[in-house]
Amino acid sequence: MEKDKSIKRREFIHTGLRLALGFSLAGVAVAAGRKSTAEKWVWQIDPAKCTQCGRCATECVKSPSAVKCIHAYDLCGYCDLCGGYFKPGVKQLETGAENQLCPTAAIQRKYIEEPYFEYVINEDLCIGCAKCVKGCSSFGNGSLHLQIRHDRCDNCNECSIARSCPSDAIKRVPASQPYLIKGEFIKPLKG
Amino acid sequence: MSKKTLSIIVLLIIALIISLIIIDFIGKSSDKRGENPYDLDVDQYKLVDSSLIRYRETKNFPLGDRLPGAIDVYNGLIYLGVEDALLIITPEGLQKKSIPLTGKPESIRVTASNIIIAYKNEINVFDSSGKLLSSWKVDNERTIITSVAVKDSLLFVADAGNRRVLRYTLDGKLLGEFTGKRESTAGHGFIVPSANFDLVVNKFGELWVVNPGEHSIENYSDEGELRGFWTKNSMEIDGFSGCCNPAELAVMDDGSFITSEKALVRIKVYDPSGRLLSVVAPPEKFLDQGHAPEVAADSTGVIYALDFDRKMIRVFEKTDDPQKN
Repeated sequence: MEKDKSIKRREFIHTGLRLALGFSLAGVAVAAGRKSTAEKWVWQIDPAKCTQCGRCATECVKSPSAVKCIHAYDLCGYCDLCGGYFKPGVKQLETGAENQLCPTAAIQRKYIEEPYFEYVINEDLCIGCAKCVKGCSSFGNGSLHLQIRHDRCDNCNECSIARSCPSDAIKRVPASQPYLIKGEFIKPLKG
Repeated sequence: MSKKTLSIIVLLIIALIISLIIIDFIGKSSDKRGENPYDLDVDQYKLVDSSLIRYRETKNFPLGDRLPGAIDVYNGLIYLGVEDALLIITPEGLQKKSIPLTGKPESIRVTASNIIIAYKNEINVFDSSGKLLSSWKVDNERTIITSVAVKDSLLFVADAGNRRVLRYTLDGKLLGEFTGKRESTAGHGFIVPSANFDLVVNKFGELWVVNPGEHSIENYSDEGELRGFWTKNSMEIDGFSGCCNPAELAVMDDGSFITSEKALVRIKVYDPSGRLLSVVAPPEKFLDQGHAPEVAADSTGVIYALDFDRKMIRVFEKTDDPQKN
């Protein structure tokens, strides 16, 4: 009688373990399936709320920051005197470093025709400090604005810059529509 | 090690971890950060010497849910264009009449016998009672009408999208256009980086057109020949800055100009030669990075500003004491 009982207990434990393993695998499979079909979310900056505080440059876990300046060309006036490119009150509209607002010279000024110029962001140099954004918004049409670039962002669970943003401008957006871009067209974005 | 000692050590470690988490959280909260190392100090340009401000805001008329489009003042009455109507308002803020419109107007000009309403690419001419006399479209896909002005039977139309001024009769016959370009090297023609391109005809029949990319105000003959201009390109209070200023222009009976600027929003008065006479409203009166209010003046020199950001008509009157603004 004692031996039979022991066998039954062992069978019970084995059966229980098999069932637990089976349920676990099934659970993992269901979770993986749901994850693959559910909407993925990513972090993004709402340009309408951004106050150009500079924290995107200093708080992102990536170095340099995954936040970059984006140019909405349809809003740009292609001005000779660009408030996002030149320091306020410069004497000469020349491309010398002393005249440029950007601390890393990440904006390239290209001549189009007299007196119009195109301004192109070099994302490898841009650190997302928003200095040009503030200049453009304060003195121009507001065509320069910040966006989190998803080919660089780690999409952390708790975004460091979202946590420190003073204007709650950073929020989760569907990965299928990962950018909140001003205007109607920009240069093609990677990522 | 006794069980009690071990418990104390574990509790101390837990307390230390919780303290670090709290310190980290408080230290990184949005209002506990240091100064922005990349700050662009724009506030310094908002400071205005109070002795220059010779107007004070005496009243304002909030518009509620109405969407402000354009404003003009004629014969002591305010003509306000909203999303679907032209409202005629007394200086006390009472609505005297409403004329239905097909949309939100971009510009309004009122004369002794006509009310001219401009939409993005359409002009409507009414008689003083509000009866539609003529209507026509400006047939160009890039057209963005930003302003109209009347001289006798001529209607001047500012088309920001094509950087040109069109000249019509009041029944819609196109007489000509000009772009401000000229043979000499003095100027590039109209530089219009945004939909801010204003023009006025003063009491002396002179047509003045803003060249916003040049920060200049230019006087043209009816046919579009440049007769004179003045330019104020400066970050100082007596100048214009940014991409496209002055964004709005009005004229007083003595020929003085009322200018309204976007971005660094402010309203000023200049004499006909371009000398700053007074600041009407400094930037602190408006929202940061806001829209330029449209401006108009009555025959007594009272200035009416249509504040698009705060959705109200703001009335500024001259004061002898600059400190009481």
